[in-house]
Amino acid sequence: MNTIALTFRLLWLVLDNTFRNPLRTILTALGTVALVLVVTLVYTVLNNLDRITQEKSSNLKLIATEKWQIPSQMPYRYVAGLSQGAAREPGDVKPEDYMSWGFFAGSTDSDASSRDFNSFLFAFVMEPEKILTMMDELDELSPTSQEYKELKAAVDRLQDNKRGIIVGLERLAKLNRKVGDRITLYSRNYKDINLELEIVGTFPAGRYDGSTVFRRDYLNAALDQYKQEKGTSHPLADKSLNLMWLRVPTREAFNQVATQITNSPEFSSPAVKVETASSGIGSFLDGYRDLLWGAKWLLAPACMATLALVISNSISISVRERQTEFAVMKVLGFQPFQILLLVIGEALLIGLTSGFFSATATYLVINEGMGGLPFKIGFLPTFDVPASAIFWGTVMGGGTALLGSILPAWSARTVKVSEVFSRVA
Amino acid sequence: MATPSKVHPMSARTECVVVDHVKKSFRRGSEEVHVLDELSLRVPEGEFLSLMGPSGSGKTTLLNLIAGLDRPTSGEVRVRNEPISKLSESQLAAWRTRNIGFVFQFYHLLPVLSAYRNVELPLLLLPMTSKERRKQVEMALDIVNLSDRMHHRPGQLSGGQQQRVGIARALVTDPALIVADEPTGDLDSKSAEEILALLVALKSSLNKTIVMVTHDPKAAARADRTLHLEKGQLVEEVIHTEFKPAPALQLS
Repeated sequence: MNTIALTFRLLWLVLDNTFRNPLRTILTALGTVALVLVVTLVYTVLNNLDRITQEKSSNLKLIATEKWQIPSQMPYRYVAGLSQGAAREPGDVKPEDYMSWGFFAGSTDSDASSRDFNSFLFAFVMEPEKILTMMDELDELSPTSQEYKELKAAVDRLQDNKRGIIVGLERLAKLNRKVGDRITLYSRNYKDINLELEIVGTFPAGRYDGSTVFRRDYLNAALDQYKQEKGTSHPLADKSLNLMWLRVPTREAFNQVATQITNSPEFSSPAVKVETASSGIGSFLDGYRDLLWGAKWLLAPACMATLALVISNSISISVRERQTEFAVMKVLGFQPFQILLLVIGEALLIGLTSGFFSATATYLVINEGMGGLPFKIGFLPTFDVPASAIFWGTVMGGGTALLGSILPAWSARTVKVSEVFSRVA
Repeated sequence: MATPSKVHPMSARTECVVVDHVKKSFRRGSEEVHVLDELSLRVPEGEFLSLMGPSGSGKTTLLNLIAGLDRPTSGEVRVRNEPISKLSESQLAAWRTRNIGFVFQFYHLLPVLSAYRNVELPLLLLPMTSKERRKQVEMALDIVNLSDRMHHRPGQLSGGQQQRVGIARALVTDPALIVADEPTGDLDSKSAEEILALLVALKSSLNKTIVMVTHDPKAAARADRTLHLEKGQLVEEVIHTEFKPAPALQLS
C-alpha cells in the first residue's frame, strides 16, 4: 500500500499515543516551548543587528565623528562645513540633508544624592526640524498618518519655543510628567549648566519611548551665558558636537563626500572620521562582539542540543515502556520502518506543535503586546520578532524533535518479536 | 508411547501448514542450544491442533516459526504452499497481515485504543476504504460477541473480554491460519471455557486452521489433535475428535 496513505491512516494512532502519558507530553512540550522562546529571542536580536548593520546602496546616512576619541566630542563650528560635506570646489558633492547631535545627560532632581533612574534624562540636542527629516523611522512616517501629524505639531511647538523639549512616552511616565509641564534639568555632563524646559510633545510609541530632544540653539545660548557669568568658556563649549549625520543619495556620493571631509584641512583638529550608519553601528557593537558570538554559536546551539536531549530522553522512556506493543505491531504485519515513522511522528507532532505555538506566541506578545523587544544598548531601536521566526521556530521544534527521536525510534524499529515475548512469558 | 503420525489420519485435504525437517538452535554465550531437532509436522486446512509440552520443549518456538516470526536454522516451513522461510523480513510482515491471526496469552491490546480501533489496526495495512474496514471490524466484533463494547478501551474490559477482542483482531483480516500462544493461560476457568468455545466455533463454522500452544490438558482436549513436544521433538500424538473439515467460509 502507498506509504503516504498509510502514514495518513496512522496519524490518529500517533495522536492517541501522544496523549498516552499527558504529564510527560506536557513537560516535553513545555521544554520545547521554553527553548524555542530563548532561541527565537536570540535569533530576533541577531537578525535585527544584521539588518541594521547591513549596508544600504542608496539613501545612505553618513556619520561624521571625532577620529581618535570615544566619545566623540567635536567643536560646534564644524557643523557649518560638515553640513555642506566640506564642498569647496565646483563639482564637489553636497549632502541632501544633515543633522547635528549633542548628548545632554541630566536629572530633574536638584539633589544629587537622591537622583535615581526615574528622574534621569538623556537628551539629544539637535535642530528641531531634523526630527522629521533625518531621525531613523520618523523620517519614514507617512505625512497623512496620525502619528506624523501629532509629531509635526510637537515639532512646530518646539520650533516656536526655544525652551521646549519632546519626551518619549515611557520616559514621560517615569518622570511622572505630562505635556505642558515645566522641568528643570540639572546637568551631569555639562557641569553647572541647568536648563529650564517645557514639555511640548511626545514621540510616537515605539523606538523613541525612552528618548528626549531639545533645541541646539538653547544649549548654545546656555553655554554663552555660562561664559558671560563665569568669564571663561565652559569646558565642553568647544566639544558640544558629538555626531553629525549627512544624507547622501548614492554609494558614489558617499565616497565623494567622505573624501572631501577627510581631505579637508578644516576638520583636522580634531580629526574627523566618516562612516555609514551601518558601519558606525557595527563599530559600536564591536565591544559586544564576543557576547553576540556566544549567543549565536554557544547559547542557541546549546539550547537546541538540550532540547534534543530532553525529547530523546522522553521518547526513550516511552519506547522502553512500549516494546511489547511494537512487537505486537510487528506480529500484526507492521514493517520496521513503519514503527520507526510512528515513533518519529509522535516526537515531530510534539516538536512542531510546541515550536509553532512558542514562536507564534513570542511573535504576538513581543510585536503586538510589547511593541518590540527593547535592546538597551546605546540608542538602538526596539527589535521586532521577524515573521519568519514563526516558520523557523516551528522547524526548530520539529528538527530537534527529529534529532532527539532518531535513536529511540531506531531502537523501536529493531525490537525483536521473539525476544520480547520470551521476556513477557 | 505412540509414534506420532504428524498428520491427521482422516485428512485428505490440502495441508495448511507443512513443517519439514526443521531445526532451530540459538547461541547462548559460547553454547549452542538446539530447540527444535529435525521436526516435521503437517496440519490440514481447517484442523484445530494443540501443542503441549514442558517449558523449553520448543512449542512456542515452533509456533513462532509457523507464524513467520522467526526463521528455522535448517529445514522448511510452508503455509498454504508458501515457503515462508525464504521470504524477506518485509515480505514476511506483509504475508503475516494477510495470512496469520495471532492470539497472545496476555492479549497485548494497545491500551490507548478502543476495542474497535485495536481490531481495526491490522486492516490499516491493507488497501481498504474506511467503510470496508468498518464493516469488517464490526463483523469480527460481532463474531466474538462484543459489539456492545466496541468503544471501550482495554482497561475497561475484563480479561475474557480483552481476549475476545484479541481474537477479533486475529480474525479481522480473514486469515487462513490462527496461531494462539496459551490463549487461556491468563484467564479464570469460566472465561477460558468461553475462549475455547469461541476457537472451536471459528474452526467449525469458518473453517479456520488453528494451532494453539497450551499447558492445560483440558484446553488441549478441545482441539482435534494434540501433539506433545519434548526437547524439540514430537513425542506423542493424541487424537481427540474425528476431524471433519467444515465447508470453507469466508468472514466477509
